[in-house]
Amino acid sequence: MNRQDSNEERGEMAHPGQYVFTPPIDIYETEAGLVLYADLPGVSVGSLELQVQDNKLTLLGKVEPQIPEGAQPLHQEYEVGNYLRSFILSGEIVHSEIEAKLTNGVLRIFLPKAPKAEPRRIQVNTG
Amino acid sequence: MPIFRWEQSWNPLRDLEREVDRLVQGVEFSVQGIRMPRQYPAVNIFELAHEYLITAELPGMLAEDLELTIANSVLTLKGHRNPPEIADGEISEERFRRQERTFGEWQRSISIPDRISEEHLSAEFNEGVLKIHLPKLEEEQPRQIPVSSGE
Repeated sequence: MNRQDSNEERGEMAHPGQYVFTPPIDIYETEAGLVLYADLPGVSVGSLELQVQDNKLTLLGKVEPQIPEGAQPLHQEYEVGNYLRSFILSGEIVHSEIEAKLTNGVLRIFLPKAPKAEPRRIQVNTG
Repeated sequence: MPIFRWEQSWNPLRDLEREVDRLVQGVEFSVQGIRMPRQYPAVNIFELAHEYLITAELPGMLAEDLELTIANSVLTLKGHRNPPEIADGEISEERFRRQERTFGEWQRSISIPDRISEEHLSAEFNEGVLKIHLPKLEEEQPRQIPVSSGE
């Protein structure tokens, strides 16, 4: 598992006129696989898209601004926008068994490792 | 009065610029795109017809770990965020491939307008976003003060 299984690609799919942020993430390894955490404040389960395609895992979280109409901004320290980040998975991850859970604006993705293949003896026949 | 050619007078600056470009070349900024507010948590404040609204992004916090207090027109937000190893059992440091999120205790105080109803203050915490509603006090009517003559 020392290969580059978490190389991410930044800056793609930016929507013009809309903020797209790279969410901060933690990745750690357990016996069973990799665990990834991403901070996605303001993202609901319905507006989160997780996609695996050609070894690439993409997470896109859409944030709807929840400010009532007519609210006048008095002081603004942060912008509200969507989150996008993608990762290259190693071939050792079982793509069909990836699990994800979103709690309080934090996404947890479990990426299970494929069981190591047992060495198989190959019978050599004499001609 | 000395006269310089415009380009000439800027040459040292251009050299400096080139030097900076050379230094910066190939340096990858690892914090690019990650929000790094000066104060944690970053807050936005809005004014509505009947209230002020304060919002703060606090992903991974639990409502019960949030403490809001108000005194002398200062609203204090306080809390702590646990790192994932607590939720997932013992995780040694070398097992981390990447660590970008921050954890620990934090506190922030915000001055709020005097004319709010402190008893009717309310807060909600959904999807990692805290919203604090500060209802405005009803406008006081000017009161007539009778003036008596000293006769």
